Amino acid sequence: MPITMPSPWLADAAGRVLLWSLVTIGFYWGAKRLYRRWPRWWLSPLLVTPLLIGTIVLALHASYRDYIGGTRWLILLLGPATVAFAIPIYEQRGLIRRHWPVLLIGMVAGSLTAMLTSWALATLVGIDGALRLSLLPRSISTPFAMEVAGDIGGIPDLTAVFVVMTGIAGAAIGDLILARLSLGSALARGALFGIGAHGAGTARAHQIGATEGAVAGLVMVLVGLINVLCAPLLAALLR
Amino acid sequence: MSHHTPFDSAARIVRHSALWQATVVGGFWLAGEAAVRVLGIPLPGGIVGLALVLGLLATRRVRVRSVRRGANLLLADMLLFFVPAVLAVLDHHELIGLIGLKILFVILLSTVAVMFVTAFTVDLCYRWRADHAHNHAEPLAR
Repeated sequence: MPITMPSPWLADAAGRVLLWSLVTIGFYWGAKRLYRRWPRWWLSPLLVTPLLIGTIVLALHASYRDYIGGTRWLILLLGPATVAFAIPIYEQRGLIRRHWPVLLIGMVAGSLTAMLTSWALATLVGIDGALRLSLLPRSISTPFAMEVAGDIGGIPDLTAVFVVMTGIAGAAIGDLILARLSLGSALARGALFGIGAHGAGTARAHQIGATEGAVAGLVMVLVGLINVLCAPLLAALLR
Repeated sequence: MSHHTPFDSAARIVRHSALWQATVVGGFWLAGEAAVRVLGIPLPGGIVGLALVLGLLATRRVRVRSVRRGANLLLADMLLFFVPAVLAVLDHHELIGLIGLKILFVILLSTVAVMFVTAFTVDLCYRWRADHAHNHAEPLAR
């Protein structure tokens, strides 16, 4: 009887949204509190939240389809988050006015290095196809990276995974590089974190200094924008 | 109007709340999406919304303090919005094992290269510009 079909389906869908949304928000909130209490890199919410939720999904014998069916609305909020990046750009307009040529050259050099080395190293170890394309935009912030991945034929979800891996590794790698190179300017120290490791790098840069943090936050947003704007060009080149 | 009714103060509290401001930012996102669909702009709606807000802030049609808290809320909790996408690994069993190690290798080495090149380039350009500005300023000072 087709007329009774929608009602159990609706109840099922509503239950799924409620369950998985609560699990996701609850574990995210818990992971944040844990990190505030013990700020170690291996307790980073970036690492802990997906691990905990993944464990729950597997333990309940649920599928990813089930899970994503209940939490897709959260991914949709990356749209408003992208718009929100307008505020840090506006607030750092003084920094842009003073240093835009240096920042622009740094962002272009960093982006080209990210794309070219990802491509070359992936090819070297025998990764190709959509997986290789998904690796290209991993050094920019998630909403931008997923957009670029979709444009150039990668898998946006996988790019989100690689973005997270880059963020976790990048904060540590940045410290190592700072110890090796003697960088005279806060501009270089901030740009390294913002362009190399997006949000996680920016958080680390804020711990090093206020100027470093502001520079990292600004270049993170701008480099994401530049990459999205250049994605159609890149897609044409890759075709 | 100098007298404040309870309605005025309630409205002010709502306007200054992070949740309301985040909703306003969400409204700009919807406007961006609509513009992309209607005008056929080949850009993501979020980027168009970003440009719109930046334009309104620059021309002072929107004040920073009426959106800052909402923007901070959305940016601070952005991890929550992409965690569901990250869990796509559950559907990609092929990433567990050798391929996963290869990907880790690519990410680590590429990130070292990106950070090294970025820091080196920015530092070099910064010093070059500082010297350049200095050389031009010198004759004027004398």
